[in-house]
Amino acid sequence: MKRNMESTKKYLVDVKGLKTYFPIKRGLFSRVVGHVKAVDGVSFKIQAGKTLGLVGESGCGKTTVGRTILRLINATDGKVTFDGSDVFGLPSKEMRKLRCDMQLIFQDPYSSLNPRMTVANIVGESLTAHKMATGRQRRKKVAELLERVGLSPHHSSRYPHEFSGGQRQRIGIARALALDPKFIVCDEAVSALDVSIQSQIINLLQDLQDEMSLTYLFIAHDLAVVEHISDYVAVMYLGKIVEYTSSRELYKNPLHPYTRALMSAIPMPDPHRRQQRIVLGGEVPSPSNPPSGCPFHPRCPMAEQRCSVEMQELKQQGDGVEHIVACWKCKEWNT
Amino acid sequence: MSKTIKQHTDWGVSYGEMVSREFFKNRLNVVSLVFIIFLFAIAVFAPFIANDKPLVIRIDGELTFPLLRNLNAVDYSVFLAAIVGLFQIWLIRRNKKRVNPTRRGEVLSRQIMINAFVLVAGIVFIFVSLDKRLDATNYKRMVESKKATGAVFPLVPFGFERTDLAVREQGPSAEHWLGTDDVGADVLCRLIHGSRISLSVGFVAVGISSVIGVFIGAILGYFGGKVDFIGMRFVEIMMAIPTFFLIITIVAFFPRSLLNIMIIIGVTKWTGDARFIRAEFFRLRGQDFVQAARALGLPLRSLLFRHMLPNGIAPVLVNATFGIAGAIFIEAALSFLGFGVAPPTPSWGQMLSLGVGTTGRFLWWLSLFPGLAIFLTVTAYNLVGEGLRDAIDPRLRKAA
Repeated sequence: MKRNMESTKKYLVDVKGLKTYFPIKRGLFSRVVGHVKAVDGVSFKIQAGKTLGLVGESGCGKTTVGRTILRLINATDGKVTFDGSDVFGLPSKEMRKLRCDMQLIFQDPYSSLNPRMTVANIVGESLTAHKMATGRQRRKKVAELLERVGLSPHHSSRYPHEFSGGQRQRIGIARALALDPKFIVCDEAVSALDVSIQSQIINLLQDLQDEMSLTYLFIAHDLAVVEHISDYVAVMYLGKIVEYTSSRELYKNPLHPYTRALMSAIPMPDPHRRQQRIVLGGEVPSPSNPPSGCPFHPRCPMAEQRCSVEMQELKQQGDGVEHIVACWKCKEWNT
Repeated sequence: MSKTIKQHTDWGVSYGEMVSREFFKNRLNVVSLVFIIFLFAIAVFAPFIANDKPLVIRIDGELTFPLLRNLNAVDYSVFLAAIVGLFQIWLIRRNKKRVNPTRRGEVLSRQIMINAFVLVAGIVFIFVSLDKRLDATNYKRMVESKKATGAVFPLVPFGFERTDLAVREQGPSAEHWLGTDDVGADVLCRLIHGSRISLSVGFVAVGISSVIGVFIGAILGYFGGKVDFIGMRFVEIMMAIPTFFLIITIVAFFPRSLLNIMIIIGVTKWTGDARFIRAEFFRLRGQDFVQAARALGLPLRSLLFRHMLPNGIAPVLVNATFGIAGAIFIEAALSFLGFGVAPPTPSWGQMLSLGVGTTGRFLWWLSLFPGLAIFLTVTAYNLVGEGLRDAIDPRLRKAA
């Protein structure tokens, strides 16, 4: 019965076996000597109106996943279905139409706004380009958007350098909202901001989600932030998803040793609570030459012979909520 | 629009305004710019400053205006261009005060379109409707022989085409302030008229080379990959050719006209611009705001020319200023070697070459004054270029 309900849920984004490799070129004629496997076989689904958090340390391919889904970077392999249409297969004209429904919010509020354009043009240009509003109508829409993200309409004639980081991020959000998208990739949208501003922006994103029934892919490296906003969380390590479950389950019961290490790094506001800090040794291996078997095994405190030979497939653990983990040893850890 | 005054306080300071503020802080920049404006004024009003036709003269009791009657189509076109140019500058200043920064871009492009149309249509009209007159009347002799009275001559009462073999190769005197050349033409008069050649060569040649350079650089920089590989080899081939000798070779094959020289300098000098724009576009392509523009599904035209070009144009602007100085220099060198415009059209370089007179005597005034004119003009442009570079370079500017 439960399974039946699962299948009838509407998935807005469906990513299957996504791979993004960047060729490494060398020499006079740019011979390809290898690949950086930034994303190496990632699959997930996001339900309409929900938020999927994507966490992992820097360089693990989170950002590349987000940008590949939006087709800003060409995928090497895999398939992304967005609202029923195959994103990578669309001709460029229809792709332009589809772009209205999927948007991106950037990490760095300084480099993500064109310094030569006024706020009104930054936010409103897409309205003109897609023939959705011009002239007075456009001005009205821009004013509405600015108010919605907590700015004042009279800011519209100013340039980005006249705003603070948090205000700039709000402008970036208004730009993403202009086309009434269904899906927004928040690429470390709050990581570059002060903690106090972070919570403001997160609350704004949540309010917008409620009002406009948005779907988010929330990319971050801060687990505390992700816990707050996400319905589901996927943990990435070196281009692969190693654990996927609901947000509550992940924080209550992390199973993959990598996830556990990440969890132990979250600062706790209680000074009396002692916790075992798991410190990972070594560096993140190079994605151009990943280790054999499980990519985490050189750093894993639990690794055994098998881990260096073969990687466990993502597998449902337990029989409660959906909780899939790619680890041979995760059950032993529990006991 | 009753809130106009209140709205002004909300208007942001654009990048252009910041750069111009920074530029005008330096006194040397202002002096150089004023000198260039002065040169422009001289070039535009050349026929009124140096002309052998009087402004007003009374012949047989009748008042006539020979100078005005003798203005040719080129003169009228220059006047029209100057008026349209000044109008455009006035409009830009007015836009700053009256037009919302958000709409300035479209307003400005519309104004430029209209003005360019007026200019082109006007020039065509002038050339079609004005028939060429040739007035060989020697008004000075008429004044001397008391045939005419009440003549008001311009400041330098000599024509650049008028020769007077009686006074050839004479040094500076009360009559000829800067002396005369090998055919007895007044040097000051020819210098004044020569400024037209220098300035027009500078601007048109750099205009051509910048447009070609920006276009090619934008394509190479945005698309990268194979397009860039092939394109850059072509650019390198162009750079490997010694431009000056190429120009001399080409000039030897084609008729010696000003337009040819402009075009030849233009089509050989674009490689620097192309490389600047390519490098800028490589940098900009990875920037978040360009990715954002792509994610918004904006058309390629907007991506290249609204998002990338305004952020990458600065080095080209600076390079263009230096390029004008370079083009003036090349034209002078070509004319010096005898490949430039044909006499009697006055050119500074050609005048310079007359310094060694027909008898082998060194005529210092023929070397010094045109040389000084070339030197000052080129220096002024280079100083403006340097000032512009400093104003644009964010490392030298205080953090905003």
